Amino acid sequence: MAEKGGKGSSVPSKAVKSSLKSATSNGASAKGKDDGSGKPKKGRKVQFDSEGLGDGIFGFSSGGKADSLLNKLNLGKGGKGDKTGKAAKSSAPKEPLPLELRVEQELPKHAKCLMDCEATEILQGIQEQMVILSEDPTIKIPVSFDRGLQYAKNGIHYADPASVRRALEPLTQYGVTEGEICVIGNVCPETPDEVFALVPSLKAKKSKLAEPLKDVLAELVKLKKAT
Amino acid sequence: MFLKVQLPWNVIISVEDLDAKGLMLQRSIVIRLLDDFACKKATKDLGYFLAVTTLDSVGEGKVRQHSGDVLFPVVFSGITFKLFRGEILDGVVHDVFKHGVLLRCGPVKKIFLSNLKMADYKYVPGENPVFLNDKLSKIGKDVTVRCMVIETRWLEAEREFQALVSLEGDFLGPVSQQVRHITGMSPRRCSLCK
Repeated sequence: MAEKGGKGSSVPSKAVKSSLKSATSNGASAKGKDDGSGKPKKGRKVQFDSEGLGDGIFGFSSGGKADSLLNKLNLGKGGKGDKTGKAAKSSAPKEPLPLELRVEQELPKHAKCLMDCEATEILQGIQEQMVILSEDPTIKIPVSFDRGLQYAKNGIHYADPASVRRALEPLTQYGVTEGEICVIGNVCPETPDEVFALVPSLKAKKSKLAEPLKDVLAELVKLKKAT
Repeated sequence: MFLKVQLPWNVIISVEDLDAKGLMLQRSIVIRLLDDFACKKATKDLGYFLAVTTLDSVGEGKVRQHSGDVLFPVVFSGITFKLFRGEILDGVVHDVFKHGVLLRCGPVKKIFLSNLKMADYKYVPGENPVFLNDKLSKIGKDVTVRCMVIETRWLEAEREFQALVSLEGDFLGPVSQQVRHITGMSPRRCSLCK
């Protein structure tokens, strides 16, 4: 599991170095019912091992914020989750941090976010060369390439990524981050309310963003791909 | 989310691939880099490696004494894919269970949407189980669902990510499959539906 805190970690800072040491020490209880004590069980590995899921597809180590969330999700066998879920909720030490996009804090150096339409343009360019590249058996294409391109193409709303980037650029002067701009470009929102619902990190700037956002969204509507 | 990354890399060229002609050497470096990049599959920091876009610089080669191979430090740019907490994604359902569904999004195959995170929806068992809400909106196999990422996890051994997602919030939920099938776009995005 992720190291404590730090850049590049997708897991909140309290997740769990100790879970690696004690992952299986309490395996039975990890798979069994949550005792609902509400105490964060550091190091306990909780598995999605209920009947419906078969042999434990997931194993998110618990600890800190993830722990209270996982308690709420009521993982483990049996269907007595409601009671234990409620117990866990009522005795959870603190509210988890709001679920907000913080891409810039997690991005490594020399990495930049791209909108799906920008990625599509680049990946499609490579795909066009694929015929030539595939003739040479020494050239390997990453296994994730096709899946990545397919996902980018499925989500694409705009024909001209450069215009979309220019349309969204004015938002940066209101403190909107690159990551937030990419999410707005990807979800193709129709109203400012949709933007604030899908990018809750912008709610704090709602009063100054609402009007400029209307203008930006109007511009984006013009850039949408016609079928 | 797609990332454009610039990375340093050490490309090792074996003796047999070294050639007096500079162009063939550069070709060897590019091929070796593409090979290493493809084998890497993914890293915790950058996500899934999709493609190399440019070879930005090639440094001076250093001979490795024990093998005679030459190590070239290079810098290249590429595209990767990584999920971030709080991000909005469109996932396609590939498995339905009593306690939730598994979705796929790009190269990420194991994204779990718990039944507790789609409270409006109830599990309907059967040969093709689905989750259904009172407005008869369906979440089943091959349905595209817009959701928010709650947590991600990197599995070092498998070199893959897993994620937990949620439908708690406005503007989240299934994207119409029927319209998508016809036009390749969701109804919200499809101009025919407006």
